Amino acid sequence: MRIHACAKTYGGRTVLRFPGLTLAPGTICAVVGANGSGKSTLARLTAGAIRPDGDGPALESPCQVGYMPQKSFAFRLTVRQNLLLPGGDPARAEALMEALGLTSLAGRRADRLSGGETARMALARVLMRPWELLVLDEPTASMDMESAILAERLVEAYRRETGCAALLVTHDLQQARRMAEEALFLYNGQLWESGPAKQVLFAPERPETRKFLEFYGGERPSRD
Amino acid sequence: MQTALAKAAALILSGDRELGNILLVTARTSLSSSLIALLLGVPLGIWLGACRFRGRQALVVLNRTLMGTPPVVCGLALYLLFSGVGPFGGLKLLFTAPIMVLAQVLLITPLVAGNLETCVSGAAPAVRETALGLGLGAGKTFLLLVNECVYPIFSTYLLAFARAIAEVGAVSMVGGAIAWKTNVMTTAIMQYTNQGNFSMGIALGIILMAVSLLVNAAVSLLQGRLSR
Repeated sequence: MRIHACAKTYGGRTVLRFPGLTLAPGTICAVVGANGSGKSTLARLTAGAIRPDGDGPALESPCQVGYMPQKSFAFRLTVRQNLLLPGGDPARAEALMEALGLTSLAGRRADRLSGGETARMALARVLMRPWELLVLDEPTASMDMESAILAERLVEAYRRETGCAALLVTHDLQQARRMAEEALFLYNGQLWESGPAKQVLFAPERPETRKFLEFYGGERPSRD
Repeated sequence: MQTALAKAAALILSGDRELGNILLVTARTSLSSSLIALLLGVPLGIWLGACRFRGRQALVVLNRTLMGTPPVVCGLALYLLFSGVGPFGGLKLLFTAPIMVLAQVLLITPLVAGNLETCVSGAAPAVRETALGLGLGAGKTFLLLVNECVYPIFSTYLLAFARAIAEVGAVSMVGGAIAWKTNVMTTAIMQYTNQGNFSMGIALGIILMAVSLLVNAAVSLLQGRLSR
């Protein structure tokens, strides 16, 4: 699965200049970087929510892309109805709700849930269907620690079950280290470093990446 | 005022046939025009609010201009179009209830579309992006957007009905306020006031307000039930 080299400009300012990326099926690629580095723009370009500058989509060949945006949106329906929107087996919806502790909220209006509950519902909803590529933009940012761990396990199980590739945008460095095999570090709208997660997230080559890891990871990367 | 209130109560209780006819014509034209305007204006408003296309801004500005159309201008235009020498004179619609409905639809539809456009512009990006991420088609996304805007649709309907029932300029020009045929509450109030029969005018005004209150209460009740 290949994401083209692409760029995105808003009002004359280029917010992302991306050289392209190939993702193998079953791989989770973490996208890390500070605010405004272009992570969400990359996620939205990949999901087709926005088009890159010039012609054509960001993805080389059309494929089934599931996408959970950064701001989870709950439709004015019950939690169960929200989960069944993309189609799929109702039994799967029940299993996903149970896995994320949503069973007791199944009949409640989803637009009245708290931020963390909405994020859990949105994650369960996007996992209802098998996708070839899953794009998750900070899926656990508004979840508590326990829910975030449950969510990580669920995504892992989904990846094993479907063999899909995933692009995981996250600010949680520990989460990226736990889940990803590949990693990208974006800096000021540019891809600063990419490669195996063990390298980028543990022993980066570039000083900017090391500085970021020190700040967000709370520990000194091994090359320092 | 007491006389007028007593007269209003007496009129209602007496089962006055002319009053009944005025109420019926008013209800029929206002309900028909507000519902037709809703059916036309809601999809138009959603289209203007949710879709991005060349010329959209021009259409939004045009619609906002039409929202302020003076009723007498609308009435005059229809009068000229449907009078004996007008291009649609052959239809013989002038001074009938259908042309009154048409006049109200032309006045109200831009209001409905404008209100919905404003509401949808706010909700559409999140709905569209979420629906895209779930692989939902255009039809389902449209229905979800309508579902998100259900409260604004209700309040817009109330606005449309209020504008229709209170409208006087256009309906008097194209309807002619003919007794037993095209006389509605507002034109009847004008007639009675012109005749110096102020108590009858006030009595009809009170009934008009009561009808408006009843419709508002009914729609609010329905809105409340749907919100549970």
